[in-house]
Amino acid sequence: MSVRKPLEGVRVTDFAWIGAGSYSTKILADAGADVIKIESSTRIDSLRLGAPYKDGIKGVNRSGYFADRNSSKRSITVNMKHPQALGLLRRLIEKSDVIANNFTPGVMERFGLGYEAVRNMKPDIIYLGMSMQGSSGPQRHYLGYGSSMASVTGFQQLTGIPGREPAGTGTNYPDHVPNPCHAAFAVLAALRHRRRTGQGQRIDFAQTEPMVALLGPTILDLTVNGHLQDARGNDHDTAAPYGVFGCTGNERWIAICVMNDAQWQKLGAVLGQPAWMQESRWANEVARHAGRVELGERLHAETQGWKAEDLMQALQEQGVPAGVVENAKDVIEWDPQLAHRGHWVPLDHAEMGRTLYNCPPFRFANAAVELTRPAPLMGEHTVEVCRDLVGLDQGEMELLSALGVFE
Amino acid sequence: MTAIALSTPGALEGLRALELASPFTQYCGKMLAELGAEVILVEPPGGALVRQIPPFIGGVPGTERSLSYNYFNTSKQGITLDLDTEQGQALFHKLATTVDIVLEGDTPGTMSRRNCDYTRLSAIKPAIVMTSITGFGQTGPWASYEAQDLVALATGGFLYLGGFPDAPPVGAYGNQAFLGAAMYGAVGTLLAVTNMEATGQGDHVDVSMQESMVTALENAVQFYDLEGKVKKRHAGEQRWAGTAVFECKDGYIYMMASGIGANKFWPLSLQWMIDEKIPGVERLMGEEWHQAEYVIQDEAKRIFAEIFGPWCKTQLKKYLFEEGQRRHIPMAAINSVADLLSSPQLAARGFFVDVQHAATGTNLRMPGPPYQLLGTPWRLRGPAPELGQDNEKVYRSMGISGQELTRLAKEGVI
Repeated sequence: MSVRKPLEGVRVTDFAWIGAGSYSTKILADAGADVIKIESSTRIDSLRLGAPYKDGIKGVNRSGYFADRNSSKRSITVNMKHPQALGLLRRLIEKSDVIANNFTPGVMERFGLGYEAVRNMKPDIIYLGMSMQGSSGPQRHYLGYGSSMASVTGFQQLTGIPGREPAGTGTNYPDHVPNPCHAAFAVLAALRHRRRTGQGQRIDFAQTEPMVALLGPTILDLTVNGHLQDARGNDHDTAAPYGVFGCTGNERWIAICVMNDAQWQKLGAVLGQPAWMQESRWANEVARHAGRVELGERLHAETQGWKAEDLMQALQEQGVPAGVVENAKDVIEWDPQLAHRGHWVPLDHAEMGRTLYNCPPFRFANAAVELTRPAPLMGEHTVEVCRDLVGLDQGEMELLSALGVFE
Repeated sequence: MTAIALSTPGALEGLRALELASPFTQYCGKMLAELGAEVILVEPPGGALVRQIPPFIGGVPGTERSLSYNYFNTSKQGITLDLDTEQGQALFHKLATTVDIVLEGDTPGTMSRRNCDYTRLSAIKPAIVMTSITGFGQTGPWASYEAQDLVALATGGFLYLGGFPDAPPVGAYGNQAFLGAAMYGAVGTLLAVTNMEATGQGDHVDVSMQESMVTALENAVQFYDLEGKVKKRHAGEQRWAGTAVFECKDGYIYMMASGIGANKFWPLSLQWMIDEKIPGVERLMGEEWHQAEYVIQDEAKRIFAEIFGPWCKTQLKKYLFEEGQRRHIPMAAINSVADLLSSPQLAARGFFVDVQHAATGTNLRMPGPPYQLLGTPWRLRGPAPELGQDNEKVYRSMGISGQELTRLAKEGVI
């Protein structure tokens, strides 16, 4: 049996920072790639200054926000504005397979690291540029964060309650799933092409485009049917009840999704056959969906007396899709399924001590994919990388250090 | 499409996959197909349930009319096969020897009952990569539990973060849990393929939809782990003063004047408000507005809203977006889907593509490449398959005679 790390031997020179970029290269790092994060104390990754901090104490090596998306990476500090920096980076890029960034177009060019320049350094390089809207088009210079992408792509408008201001997910959603997955997938595909042909390539990645791609059916409803969709709470197209219902305790809910008439009967049985649920008007899905507002209110009254965890189990034992609306404490301390899968990985960090990291949501029968180290301290591996990998001798190290290249 | 595009190889050229149609796998299969893999969609003879997902062409349901199906299954071939019959299983074993990848999203245990689980398939072909995408994963106390999109958003902890404080939580729009699992399935599949091509050893990739949504929690888990705080939903509120949804004359915008990564945008935002001569702007000029500790406070949020809010309501979305960006402020229009279709940016990048729907002759304008791989371009290989469209071609290529095919169809196997 192979216990090979899939990306063993792949090296990434990683200029990605903040949200989506760092999460993308985390996927590669956790799969075994040697991801070398290029940082600088003159241009600190703002997530290093983002809460929460270990014990609430601020510090560039104490942010949990930063730590989670930089597992399994190494960090070196290089001031790219220093004239000597480019020569150093060139020697690192010559030993790399991938170079990644999520700057607005033009920044890498100002560093002397535009695609053509990098290809001259390493002809078969895979060059991933993840700007907000891509490197072409009239709005290529626009900048934004995950919430900006959610807004521009239509996703924010569609997520919420009819008649109220757009709610969104409460997070920078495109940063966490759509963009990292698409970016990692594109890099893996490009690596395959390179293995087969020896050819590298440039990946022009607009962080708005995967999110729009995920809205395909909604866009088709407009282009084909002329129907413009809008926010609709938790409503489903056809099924009802389908939503969240209050349970015993403060801010406790259960999600219940009755997908057919048989599940409706099972729901009634679990709830003790309340008289109103026996009425023929609710027996059929079309009628339930038409009356879903009233249905939701009545069901809410039935679930109030239940503990969410107990109701979830009772419903699932009858084959009714249901789940506790878990909060952050629940997913860490209560959820037996995430515990079974070993989702939370505790890693020992030099400054933060033992803290939790996300494992990727896939498991392999054979391949070894696991977090190999906690987030790096800023510049933790500057000496190790420059001496052992780039091959600088002691004299060169001291000179560059004295010149401030490693700031 | 140009001749150059057609002659350029896809990055995944030469890989062949069988996808058992399901809401878990369909976007995963599409991602593989549009970077060059040959993906064969396998449906039960009556058609897969994904064909019944709205919206429909003209609002009329029908086997070929689901717009969801017609979007998520472009570029695939399609065959029918009843995996719940012995003959169907034997055919599937034979088919599996011709492919590199099997994608499936059935309840754990189903493939084993069909004698088509990973153990069985890898005995037939050790190099096979099988990716199973399910609600909670292949093993564990909840492995047999039923998952719908909202259940995964809920149990992943993601639903708790969405919505207004005065109303129950609201989930992400548009089957993001199914899609998230599919996207991670695509990544996991290529990682296993990487190993398979290096060593000849295949793999079983076990993807959980719940766990995929856990990765969307941003920093909520770290807030609890490091500071003991449980993050809650906050729609309708400013995250920091100047970072929020604001109403404008014809809709809404999302502004980021302060907060994570945005402190440098405060001076630019302030200068803009000064240039626009917004009444009361002098109240925003103090040093405290540069301090993270101040802009997180309710007082700062209230003052900002009092000054910026009324002015913003008199301005058009397009102006705010373009002028804010011209000033290097991460201003975003909260677009509707209609705005996307008229976006000069998406148009310039040739983002939308037109696909002819064979059964009705309808033109389907849909999203195109989610990424541009310049050496191996994303490519639409054709419309979603009609039911059983490639039976003849695929089965004949396995050496099954026309006569045999007729018999299999008659017996309901294909």
